[in-house]
Amino acid sequence: MTERFDAIVVGMGSSGGIIAEQLTAAGLRVLGLDKGPDYTQEDFLVKQDELRYYQRGAIVAGVDVDPVTWRAGEGETARVLPWSAGELGSDEPLYGLPSIGTGGGTLHWGCAAYRFREADFRMRSAIAERFGKEALPEGTLADWPISYADLEPYYEKVEREQGISGRAADNPFGPPREHDYPMPPVTQAPGDVPFVEATRRLGLHPFRQPLAINSVEYRDRPACVNCGFCHGYPCHVKAKSTTQVTSVPAAKATGNLDLRPLSRVLRVHRTGDRSRVTGVTYVDGAGVAHEVRSDLVVLAAYALENVRLLLVSGINRDGQVGQNFMTHNFGWFTSVLPEPTNPFLGTFNASSAVDDYTSELVPDNDLGVLWGSPIISVTGDLQPIEAYHLMDPSVPKWGLSLKHWLRDNYLHLHRMYSQTTNFPHPRHYCDLDPNVTDRWGQPALRITHDWAPHDANSVTLMGRYKEKIAREMGAKSSWMDEPRPPYHLSTHDVGVHRMGEDPATSVTDVYGEVHECRGLYAIGGGQFVSYGGYNPNQTIQALAYLTAEHLLEQA
Amino acid sequence: MDHPLLFLNREEAAVLDALVEEILPGEEGSPGATEAGVVEYIDRSLAGFLRDLQPIYRAGLAALRELSGDLTFADLDAEARHELVAGLAENPDLAGRFFRIVREHTIQGFFGDPAYGGNRDLAGWKLVGFPGAQWGYSAEQMRPGVDAREIPLLTLKDLYARIGGAR
Repeated sequence: MTERFDAIVVGMGSSGGIIAEQLTAAGLRVLGLDKGPDYTQEDFLVKQDELRYYQRGAIVAGVDVDPVTWRAGEGETARVLPWSAGELGSDEPLYGLPSIGTGGGTLHWGCAAYRFREADFRMRSAIAERFGKEALPEGTLADWPISYADLEPYYEKVEREQGISGRAADNPFGPPREHDYPMPPVTQAPGDVPFVEATRRLGLHPFRQPLAINSVEYRDRPACVNCGFCHGYPCHVKAKSTTQVTSVPAAKATGNLDLRPLSRVLRVHRTGDRSRVTGVTYVDGAGVAHEVRSDLVVLAAYALENVRLLLVSGINRDGQVGQNFMTHNFGWFTSVLPEPTNPFLGTFNASSAVDDYTSELVPDNDLGVLWGSPIISVTGDLQPIEAYHLMDPSVPKWGLSLKHWLRDNYLHLHRMYSQTTNFPHPRHYCDLDPNVTDRWGQPALRITHDWAPHDANSVTLMGRYKEKIAREMGAKSSWMDEPRPPYHLSTHDVGVHRMGEDPATSVTDVYGEVHECRGLYAIGGGQFVSYGGYNPNQTIQALAYLTAEHLLEQA
Repeated sequence: MDHPLLFLNREEAAVLDALVEEILPGEEGSPGATEAGVVEYIDRSLAGFLRDLQPIYRAGLAALRELSGDLTFADLDAEARHELVAGLAENPDLAGRFFRIVREHTIQGFFGDPAYGGNRDLAGWKLVGFPGAQWGYSAEQMRPGVDAREIPLLTLKDLYARIGGAR
């Protein structure tokens, strides 16, 4: 007999964990499916292993099992992510798919927990107001159907429920907020001190980054121990806020969650007239397929995986599924500072950022850049192999020059990055690859994307500011990424099942319900309408709380 | 050879020993890639996680043999090895491609945890001042001015010893 549930949630990660927690707490019987393992703390007790987690990507979805292909433009044959696959490839958790299993992307993440700004929700209007309508970028840039004020209470909820550290008063440019973060910032890494001093001298306004990492004991989870194996790694002490230690255990505790790990959904089913969802088919860890039923199915996988599931299930009536692909270009900028930074200490983000150039605050400029980005100081979490990957390109990489460079500079490295805006454009989309399939016979997702002039100009503009900061820090040498880097995925990929009111230009409504199919929700970063320079997760989780509340009102 | 081979033959291992030593050479008091056991790391990886790269390794070794003339790369004198590698770094052909793969794996073997067969005596971590697999750092250690090279180095094995259980 086919099993039936009140709800099926696909993906027990950032948003799926929250949906499962909220629905089970209200008494709904929920089936939770995740293609990865149901991790326990025993799995992560000793994780201080750069080869296993960073170079070999032990917790992320690797391209050998979950192939994704990419091409720069139509007419080209897409290849499995060339910067990630192949003989020099690594499943480094920066430029591919995020981690899977309970916790999902919140296992590997660097924990930057930014709210978007008020202007980020009305990017199109804000650009038109400042630069004139004629300056609007080509393509499908639109305002969000909700405002910052609509989402503010849900941001607040994320900060309280998931546990965020920070100090709001530090940032004069931060969006309006009801309360401060529930915890003070985590311990600052030594390499951040010169950044703070230099940016202050330059008249900028450095603030400690808001992080989903405990700085003190919070809700029975301990404070961070500064181990320095954080971004790309699971946490061995439960200080990192991941739904694996927050929402999923809470959902399990209700007794209403039937969690099935290693269960990969192959297809979403609908009624004969295609107007309502009826359930899904998944294949379990032993390769056996199961059909399960519910009138409520929430796709809470990674944005790209949500799209793949919709497309393989034939759900794309209006041609909008997979459109509006947006990602982040990091513009990595590395310096050698005169004083040691001890870059192995603490988290990736035990550091500060400046919002002086973010979003609508971008200064007038000669490069036509319409929307800015924070500049973020990265001071910790740097192991030697990764240090080699970001080393000065002017140094010969063999022999004593290589060896001595690493010997003399590793302990002095400082990084900065920004996350520049990608405007949505019909050239940038994902669809099913006509040639490549995974081992279950499902087509791979194909990304068609290239860096546009505005992307490259944004990196160049932010690079000028970073250079100024580096000089002020007294950097002995510094270098930065190409404005058009080789990667086209960033684990920050969004927009591909856009929310909106009009089915002709969007896939879901504000709550994530798919316009063409009642009871089917697709939630997460895929819902984003535009994309500024902040990390996506805080907004993904705020939207999840909004969706959960809506579902419970409907139930 | 001070370790059993799981994929490479003895001649291949000797050639790789010479090649990785060109990438990260030993100096007085500072071990290079050979002494750090990088080839043991590469051999083990090729027999396991990197098994898909077995063909490119065999093809690359053949390409290197051709460039080495009548001798194997390991038998060339220091100057000839040096000259050959200088040409490989930017070489777009198979031999250059192979060099870049070996260089990546040399870095991995030199700086990865010794559990993987390389980084013997923690040569890589001692070189750069990385304290290794630490459970955590105190607030005092997070302050500016701390000499990283004073922190006692730890490995995965040490952490398992600390949490208990037969490993």
